Amino acid sequence: MTAAFVAKYAACSRIAAAQARRERGEVYGRVAFFAVILGVFSSLWRAAADAGLPVAADPKALVWYLAATEWILLSVPPIHVDIQEAIRRGDVVYQLGRPMSYVIAELAAGLGLLAVRAPLLGATAFLCAFAFTGWIPPSSALATVVPFGLVAAALITALHLWIGLLAFWLQDVSPVYWVCQKLMFVLGGLMLPLDLYPDFIQRVAAVTPFPSVLAGPASFVLPAPIVTPGELARNLAIWCGVTAFAVWWVFRRAATALTINGG
Amino acid sequence: MTRRSNSLAFARALVTTNLKATVALRGAFVMQVAFMALNNLTFFVFWWALMRHAIVIRGWRLGDVEVLFGIVAVAFGLTVTVAGGVRFLGRFIDEGDLDTLLTQPQSVLVHALGLRSQPSGIGDVLSGLMFIAWSGQVSWSMLPVVAAAIAASALVLLATGIVFFSLAFWLGRVETVARQLWELLITFALYPEPLFGGMLRLALFTVLPAGFVGYLPVRIVRAPSLINVALLATGAAAYLGFAVLVFDRGLRRYASGSRFSTFG
Amino acid sequence: MQPAVELNQLSKSFRVRHARGGGVADRVRDLFRRRTETVVAVDRLSFSIAPGERVAFIGPNGAGKSTTLKVLAGILQPDAGDVRVLGLVPSRQRSELAFQIGTVFGQRSQLWYQLPPRDTFELLGRVYEIDRREHRRRIDALSSVFELDTLVDTPVRHLSLGERMRCEIVASLLHSPRMLFLDEPTIGLDVSAKAVIRELLRTESERERVTLLLTSHDTGDMERVCTRVIVIHRGRLLWDGPIAALRRGYLKAKRVTLWSEAEHLELTLPGVRVLSSGAYRTELEVALEITPLGQVVDAALRQAAIRDMAIEDAPLDEVIRALYAHAESRSVPS
Repeated sequence: MTAAFVAKYAACSRIAAAQARRERGEVYGRVAFFAVILGVFSSLWRAAADAGLPVAADPKALVWYLAATEWILLSVPPIHVDIQEAIRRGDVVYQLGRPMSYVIAELAAGLGLLAVRAPLLGATAFLCAFAFTGWIPPSSALATVVPFGLVAAALITALHLWIGLLAFWLQDVSPVYWVCQKLMFVLGGLMLPLDLYPDFIQRVAAVTPFPSVLAGPASFVLPAPIVTPGELARNLAIWCGVTAFAVWWVFRRAATALTINGG
Repeated sequence: MTRRSNSLAFARALVTTNLKATVALRGAFVMQVAFMALNNLTFFVFWWALMRHAIVIRGWRLGDVEVLFGIVAVAFGLTVTVAGGVRFLGRFIDEGDLDTLLTQPQSVLVHALGLRSQPSGIGDVLSGLMFIAWSGQVSWSMLPVVAAAIAASALVLLATGIVFFSLAFWLGRVETVARQLWELLITFALYPEPLFGGMLRLALFTVLPAGFVGYLPVRIVRAPSLINVALLATGAAAYLGFAVLVFDRGLRRYASGSRFSTFG
Repeated sequence: MQPAVELNQLSKSFRVRHARGGGVADRVRDLFRRRTETVVAVDRLSFSIAPGERVAFIGPNGAGKSTTLKVLAGILQPDAGDVRVLGLVPSRQRSELAFQIGTVFGQRSQLWYQLPPRDTFELLGRVYEIDRREHRRRIDALSSVFELDTLVDTPVRHLSLGERMRCEIVASLLHSPRMLFLDEPTIGLDVSAKAVIRELLRTESERERVTLLLTSHDTGDMERVCTRVIVIHRGRLLWDGPIAALRRGYLKAKRVTLWSEAEHLELTLPGVRVLSSGAYRTELEVALEITPLGQVVDAALRQAAIRDMAIEDAPLDEVIRALYAHAESRSVPS
């Protein structure tokens, strides 16, 4: 990779990051949401534990688990919306003309946004989880969660990119986004660790990237992580590859069948 | 009498036109309805999985959560289908779209609310009805009560939406913040009431009335009582009245032009 | 007879908030500590319009046209002055007035985008509380006058801008208003579409005795549709009189641009002023009643072949500037 190549895309990231700083409203909204959801769930886990929830971890660890999964998910910028807009407006044609792969440029922009949101939301996650539980997981656990979490968030960003690209065929990709998101919630064990779901759900989850991007990284705060760092790294690498291929394939198909919407 | 019946005729025609416009793009419409229903059902799997193990959480069973989900989903779905303009109120205010409405003889608020409709709302209504049916808590004889509870819930939801988005009259572009606040309300409304402590519960029956959107309607369905019904009805009327007042004040400010930063 | 519009010393100012940053928090702070500047949009404007008149309301950007129109339509409250439209006070009797006025905003649409215009027309019948059968007849009648044919049943998103504008005007006339306010109705339209719209407005207004008040940047709108023009500049009345008078006084000159095969053209005809000459391009101001265009072109052809030619009205700004100069030297004609 030449320095120029990297520089091009790094510039995309920087511009996007600057934009993120300007669109603070949405991020503050996510911060508030974060606080609310952790508060609700810390109450819920205590109630569930009282009701006999058979989970190895105690409620405090579960709150931190949720904080981690939510951190990963909320840090991801909603780039599918921007891409859909760009495709609808026909802007994409102009992007194609530039000597930059449109897809890599959009990804770089997304990562730039992620770079701004992740630390802010990470701090929020940490503070809220501590406030509601009065406990902090061992630092080795946190030290494992953070890097894996960032990679996972980047992978989810790429997934959002893929969803956005579907706008070449669908007028509105939001329905697809909603369902993907909810599948991620369930199959990625967002709120409830996967081993508490029925077997058939766990088996379905195993063939999706969702456990690797949410449950996997977050589970390091639990006494019994569902996966070892080595395994998780391998899984993430595989899914990165699959996603990259999926994105490339969709874009290839779209570029050949490109029509501009006059609007 | 004629003037009021004419207003109703207008409202009815507005809703019909709105729905016609929504269905006009057939493919997108079907997708939105189907996927939103799927969206809600998928999300609910969490509760189902959780309550397989912990059968009763603070007095709530799976059936109770289903009723809660059902009511809020139907209420929300109705709001964004019939009065979908509420989510765009901020934009209408900020971009001067109220001008045309002001030159016409009908209520600006009603007209603005009826200018948009979200097809996904119908998906919410369908999935909501499914949840209520599956809960096993609602017998046929209870349907009028449930319907009334849903109506009240929808009115409170609509009213808070009007208030939040009307802040645009004073603060300009509040789109994002207003939307987040409204979504926060819905989030709170979807969780069982016993999870919230005293102070929070107070807030949820005042500034962020999730109490009137979710908890009270469910309480009424679980154990109907005249007091609760009266409370819900009063609450709905009060919030709606407040919303109309806020919008009216805001409209006066709009007409004075002080929100303007450009003129021609 | 009662005037359609009576404006007496209308004044309207805006408090422009110097917005800080972009965040909501900043804007809340703005609410409490105002850093505002008062901008005068309309300054003691007075005029009256008789029923059935067609008046053009012109002026440069920021002159106060849209503001005045909005006050008349009941959208904005005046700060001072008396305003009466069709005998009613817009700010106090908005609803009652709404039944009798129609509006066409060139930059906005009141037609539902995904639906055919007919659906909007039907809805407007409910808005204006018109009897159903009577309303249907009215829709058909106006549709035939405006030659809408199949357009009425075509979704608006499939219509061209010109077709859409025709439908917008029909929409504004459905409830048989006595007064129509039009804000830039021909903006963005091509020449032939403009011609169609202008013709329709003129004939419809004559036929139904609808008073028109039309704002525009385009002097063509003014000349083809209206009989009287009010010029407003910086919120103040600059000129109010018949079109013919304005034409005689200020619009008699044409801007002629010639591209020829000679680098410079020497044209010393009476009433012809050379504005610029060079690089095979010559710009002239021609006073038509002194020297007809034909003579100018002949004179140019005698010097060199002409490759291209453009003929335009003197730009509105020039007219305004001339009016302003005129007004400075004497009191404004009313």
